[in-house]
Amino acid sequence: MTETIEIKGRGVVKGRAEGEALVADAMLSFWGEVDPVTGRVIAVGHPLEGQSLRGRVLVIRSTKGSSATPMVLNLAKLEGTAPAAFVNIEVDSLAALGCIVNEIPMLTALEQDPFAHIRTGDHVVVDADHGLLRVTRRAHPL
Amino acid sequence: MDLTGEQRAILNGARGPYLAQCMRWLVEWGEVMEARRLIRVDNTHVLLPVPNLMARGASRETIERYVDGLREACRHRTAPGCLCTVHTLFLTLDELDVPENDPEQVCIQKEIADMAAEAGFIPTWTCAPYLVGNVPLKGEICAWTESSAVVYANSILGARTTRHGNESAIAASLLGWVPEFGVLLEENRKGTLRVEVSAELDGPTDWGALGYFAGKLAGLGIPVFNGARRPSQDEAKQLCAALATSGGVSMCHIAGVTPEAPTLEAAFHGDVPADCVTFSDDTLRDTYASLRNQTGTEIDSVILGCPHASIREIAEIAGLLRGKRVAGSVRLWVNTARGTKGQADAIGYTKTIEEAGGRILCDTCPTNMRMAARRIVTNGFKQAHYARGMVGAEVIVAETGPCIRAALAGRWLGDD
Repeated sequence: MTETIEIKGRGVVKGRAEGEALVADAMLSFWGEVDPVTGRVIAVGHPLEGQSLRGRVLVIRSTKGSSATPMVLNLAKLEGTAPAAFVNIEVDSLAALGCIVNEIPMLTALEQDPFAHIRTGDHVVVDADHGLLRVTRRAHPL
Repeated sequence: MDLTGEQRAILNGARGPYLAQCMRWLVEWGEVMEARRLIRVDNTHVLLPVPNLMARGASRETIERYVDGLREACRHRTAPGCLCTVHTLFLTLDELDVPENDPEQVCIQKEIADMAAEAGFIPTWTCAPYLVGNVPLKGEICAWTESSAVVYANSILGARTTRHGNESAIAASLLGWVPEFGVLLEENRKGTLRVEVSAELDGPTDWGALGYFAGKLAGLGIPVFNGARRPSQDEAKQLCAALATSGGVSMCHIAGVTPEAPTLEAAFHGDVPADCVTFSDDTLRDTYASLRNQTGTEIDSVILGCPHASIREIAEIAGLLRGKRVAGSVRLWVNTARGTKGQADAIGYTKTIEEAGGRILCDTCPTNMRMAARRIVTNGFKQAHYARGMVGAEVIVAETGPCIRAALAGRWLGDD
């Protein structure tokens, strides 16, 4: 059985995208912590270490670290390994810039805690034009 | 956002499609970040690096499209009256016999370098522009890339810059405006996290540990350090770099040091929180331990100068190496700006370091180049953090003295 919930939020960078959620209550730097060619997180000890961002809806606290984050996101976009959308608790100016330049939708200020309601593997539709997130839960084993 | 007639005209293409795109980036970014207007920028520090091994295995089309973007930027002139300097590269323009310095990419980078200079940028090729002549004054409006330099400019110099990426810093350089949001505004420079420092901080790397600890807790906020002694320039540099590694900090206050924070009260705009975290001697020790992941003592690399070494640090390193010899199994790199190396050449520090078997690396750093290494000793928390993933090396972070002792011995001998 699948269950779909909707969560309201604020569209930061407009657009609509969907994909499988990749969720961690953590911050992430793209330069130095993401390989733009493989699309994988390379940061040792990071909760998302080894995970692919390609086509995923990246649900994290915010970006952090390097100012080359938009540049790495740009290389990832050109290589086809960029995330489909960003859902962030806080808006780092670098994630916002990277999403604008690379036309990646970004959503923030969700009315419900995304870390409580979205799990890695859930199917997520991000509608940043209307500030809406639709989560279809993957069937989880008990 | 309220735009002037001139700004609106540029957005509509009055100065060509590339500058219209630059204006669109600044306007959309400003709107997203809740800016109300664009203001004049006095000073920029931009990123113009070819990808080199950052995009190892990327398609030729990706590289060409990316590099064409840099070429397009450099076909325009920087805004009159704005000082524009340039960040580090992912390779060195010097002859260097390592496979990581891809000759084809070096050639393209040299072309970009010439174009950038022609466009009005000063190609400092450094992550620490404040060490080689780009030293903004208090209140100066900047558009800086390099996360560590952003924190330094705001916190140590009292200048004002948000965290910029390459596109926004290029746009600011060419147009002469930035969207006014975040720490450009007085009310957004108020501290958000109180850190009481009881630890004895003995040198730059200890200050890096403080930053690494606090950045993680502060996130995108503004930590305020109270109780610490006044740092040296090199110590402040390590603090700022580490804050923007574990966190996304734009600025911090060091009570009594940061130009706008003569007191703890001033750092919090009069509203000092009772809650605080303490950075004790135990926390200091734990922070070092959290990053060290060595499984043995043999080492192959010692990397100093992250962010780029100051002339004082190079003098110290030369002093520790004088008349000695780095172990044959160890590569000792001192990363610095070309301008600082010029000084070191003139004074004789370079010769001393090279006679000992070390090397001064300009324009970049081994981690940026993704130079192969298995076990690295470094004095920078930022370098240590990123080298673990980018190079896949084990790391030991330590003060400069123990780093040099390890370089001479070929193995890690401990901190004391």
